[in-house]
Amino acid sequence: MSSNTANQTLRTRYSAEVKDILKRYPDDQKRSAVMPLLFLSQKEGLQATVSVMSEIAQILDISITQVASIVGFYTLYYSHSGGKNRIQICTDLPCALRGADDFADKVCEKLGVKLGETTEDGEFTVESVMCLAACDKAPMFQVQNGDGITYHERQTISDVQAVIEQLGNAEIDKSPEGAE
Amino acid sequence: MTESILVNIDDKEVAVPKGTLVVDAAKRVDNDIPVFCYHPKLDPVGMCRMCLVEVGTPLRDKETGEMMFEENGQPTINWMPNLQTACTMVVSDGMCIRTTTSQVTRARKDVVEFLLTSHPLDCPVCDKGGECPLQNLTMSHGSSESRFLLEEKMNIEKHVPLGDLIFLDRERCIQCARCTRFQDELVGDSVIGFDERGRSLQIITHSDPGFDSYFSGNTTDICPVGALTTTDFRFGARPWELAHTPSVCPHCPVGCNLHINTRRSGQDGNWSIKRVMPRQNEQVNEIWICDKGRFGHHFVNNSDRLTAPMVRRHGELVETSWDVALGLVSEKLQSSNGSIAGIAGERLSNEDLFAFRNLIQVNEGSVSQWPGLLGGGDLVQKVGVGVDTDLAKLGSDTAILVIASDLSEEAPLWWFKVRQAATKLGASLDKSRAALIVANARETKLDKIAKYCVRYNYGDEVRTILALSHAVSDGNTGIMGSIAANDNDDVIAAAKAISAAKNLIIIYGGEGQSYAASNALAQACSNLLIAKGNVGKKDNGLIPVWTHCNTQGAWDMGVKPAGVSATEFVADADVILLAGADPVGDGEPLPENSFVVVSELFKTKTAISADVVLPAQAFVEREGSYTTGDRRVQRFYPALPCSENVLPDWEIFQRIANEMGVGDVSAGPAAVMRQISLQVPQYRDISYENLAAVEEQWPDIGGEDSYYGGTGFQNTGGLGVQTLSLIESGFSVSPGDVDPIGLATGELLGVPVTVLYDRGSTFVKSEIMNSRISDPYIEINVGDALTHNVTDGDMVSLILNGKERELIARVSNDVPQGAVLIPRSMDGPMLRGVVPVNINTIDHGSKE
Ligand code: SF4
Ligand code: SF4
Ligand code: FES
Ligand code: FES
Repeated sequence: MSSNTANQTLRTRYSAEVKDILKRYPDDQKRSAVMPLLFLSQKEGLQATVSVMSEIAQILDISITQVASIVGFYTLYYSHSGGKNRIQICTDLPCALRGADDFADKVCEKLGVKLGETTEDGEFTVESVMCLAACDKAPMFQVQNGDGITYHERQTISDVQAVIEQLGNAEIDKSPEGAE
Repeated sequence: MTESILVNIDDKEVAVPKGTLVVDAAKRVDNDIPVFCYHPKLDPVGMCRMCLVEVGTPLRDKETGEMMFEENGQPTINWMPNLQTACTMVVSDGMCIRTTTSQVTRARKDVVEFLLTSHPLDCPVCDKGGECPLQNLTMSHGSSESRFLLEEKMNIEKHVPLGDLIFLDRERCIQCARCTRFQDELVGDSVIGFDERGRSLQIITHSDPGFDSYFSGNTTDICPVGALTTTDFRFGARPWELAHTPSVCPHCPVGCNLHINTRRSGQDGNWSIKRVMPRQNEQVNEIWICDKGRFGHHFVNNSDRLTAPMVRRHGELVETSWDVALGLVSEKLQSSNGSIAGIAGERLSNEDLFAFRNLIQVNEGSVSQWPGLLGGGDLVQKVGVGVDTDLAKLGSDTAILVIASDLSEEAPLWWFKVRQAATKLGASLDKSRAALIVANARETKLDKIAKYCVRYNYGDEVRTILALSHAVSDGNTGIMGSIAANDNDDVIAAAKAISAAKNLIIIYGGEGQSYAASNALAQACSNLLIAKGNVGKKDNGLIPVWTHCNTQGAWDMGVKPAGVSATEFVADADVILLAGADPVGDGEPLPENSFVVVSELFKTKTAISADVVLPAQAFVEREGSYTTGDRRVQRFYPALPCSENVLPDWEIFQRIANEMGVGDVSAGPAAVMRQISLQVPQYRDISYENLAAVEEQWPDIGGEDSYYGGTGFQNTGGLGVQTLSLIESGFSVSPGDVDPIGLATGELLGVPVTVLYDRGSTFVKSEIMNSRISDPYIEINVGDALTHNVTDGDMVSLILNGKERELIARVSNDVPQGAVLIPRSMDGPMLRGVVPVNINTIDHGSKE
């Protein structure tokens, strides 16, 4: 415990980015950098593992529990492994009123998984998330992957299919209405 | 004084200070607005909605700004359309509040119904049952039926250890964030937090060990449900079967007020302590205690306890009667012609120490304090901190200087209160912060919140104070030039803060101190206080961080440190009397041919080798008083019955004196205190009656409504009385000479430091703490470790007081180069100051 052998992944792999992020905050408020650092840590399909969280805690001089609370609160961050592409469907109230739950079920059906699960080929994870600030354009989802985040609004199930085909080579059911 | 504001609550007028919250204003007129997330010591968050009330403000004419009135002459009230949370709404002039309308009643009922949708309602097996805010508020405000489906209740983990001390029941948590806010705001150990959101919100910890905080137990008091419970009390008893006794913590000089809950077992009929809780005393510990105080009580019923007097016959200690044992002792004392040495522990009560000193003195022997590591008790009597000082309340007109102390380890609640003064986080209305200056040879936990940190080399404590004094006085006192430290700029900045402050409090500790060094340090600190006029009044003066709970009492009773080891002190004595002292165990042997009498709780090494052993009562088995480092005399009461064959120390010594015909046996400890008040000038006004006096405490905690402040207890046993310092009694006190003692030299210097979780005999016996108590260790700087071929976790040996010891080495960046930190009370020999050491590795890599 007393030796300082904490993880250095972020600081070695993204040293310039980390510095750049820290520069944006005054020294006595560097804890505010927790969100951009976490986002950075998810680049290249990494995730907020305990060791990454503890590195961020160390950089910002806060406790790992505080970092974990942020990860736990925001659906943007994930601490468990998943597919290369995370399809994050908003099922919060306004979207739900426009059929988001049903839509999410269909997407899952299409990929042959349940919410929260990953396709066998490791390409896709389907998740339901909180409001993504596009309530008037439901059903909607975002795709999070190594390239960042892309929004997909006013979606139909065939739109989703196009996105899926474009992103991966998952074995999917090509019938327009999904499996009956 | 802050401005006062008049508000109307259910047609009752009440005047409260500006800034007061509606919920607290109501409390002032005994209107208990139900709350869950609100806690009077924490910043309000308005999370639970239980406190909804109707709020209206006087209507004013839009044009003229004049108040408008009804026909009956009453001001016209503009009622807000929605209910407001009383815990976040600050009162304003003329505000009207209604707490009994049907709208309010309905809201409370609904909130409870919602809370219960997830709650398991397993009250019959819940530790909180009987003193549970949720249970109580459900009974008083809830509905007996729910419109929600039973199947939709949360079904999640019920026995989650958040470490070894605290258990979490996830189903029971109502997500009020009291526990996390306590840790964030008041302690600064953000080691528990929320994971997830909405209905899935859960408490988590990622610290190692889990819930790693000296104050963790307090969260179980303020958790409004049975979600957080202590390993100690869990499934141990029901609150309503418990007996109650006010007490005082015996573990450090703060003297936190305790409330001891005991129960008689239905199986064997024996009484035992079920839990130790805080007892409210706002000036001392508020409503908090540290985990050492809460869980460190198990030594009392340990099987090592002595149960009968013993005398040595044919080389063996054999049990005997008190008459025989005391007869033998008095005979020996009588024939010794004053060749008597008495050593009394700093853990004994004032009554014990007084009786002990009297016995030795009438026999013309000499007394000393055990272990008597630190000096300056006489200076504390003279210029100790002013009566009525509340550390937590100090504001921007006060500078607090902490020197030679890792306060969080040495006196946790003082650390807690100093932190409040320096941060003013939590619920305090007054947000002006004291200027905290921390001077130490290494970084301590206090540095994080200090305004100024001064770093010196071990041995330069006195010089640091002199340098500060020099800077404060523009060069008239002290020796700025000679401070070895590198950071003169810091000294000057700190000195500026001291000069600018109206009040000054200096807290000096024992890190790296010998008796002589700490004497000089206390004198240097006193001189600075005297020179600046910061003595003899509230919020000013000297506070010693003693190593034990009644060190100040020992000084006051005339039992002072000898300044040398016990071995040296007793060297020529024919008869040696020891009470609550174990020099042999601490590596200070006694001469073989002296007659040794020991009064003790346990079979210590000293007791085993003694000629007469007298079993003494533990603090929970008797009455007595301790005096805190800030000179507050406090009473404790018997919580457990005790065998008649075990006596309180004061009675033992008085019976010996009586046997010898040189004194009477008092009727009880109150009578001993009466004698003390006649003989010890500072105690002239102290009696058991006034020690037991209580005044109303604010916030009002521990009454019927445990939901407001938690399950901490109201103070019914007395708030204690602070003795006046000499200067407060009108004597003049002038500065004294200071001689900084020479520095120990050597490539590596062993530095005695204090750690809270030590291996002292009154702590190590609490098994539940075992995982937190370290094996004996030393701490060494990274560079020095490299030079000496030591890696983290190695077994090393070093010679201390001529004896070889084996300990674990911890390698750390926080230890200054050249220093080896050696924690006190770690089964090792007593270190009476900084000593040169040599380190040899004996076993590499016991870790990873
Ligand atoms: S554990 Fe207790 S104090 Fe903490 S959030 Fe849950 S109910 Fe509140
Ligand atoms: S701070 Fe000191 S007096 Fe208070 S509970 Fe802890 S050890 Fe006991
Ligand atoms: S609720 Fe779905 S985007 Fe706002
Ligand atoms: S919202 Fe006021 S007590 Fe919780």
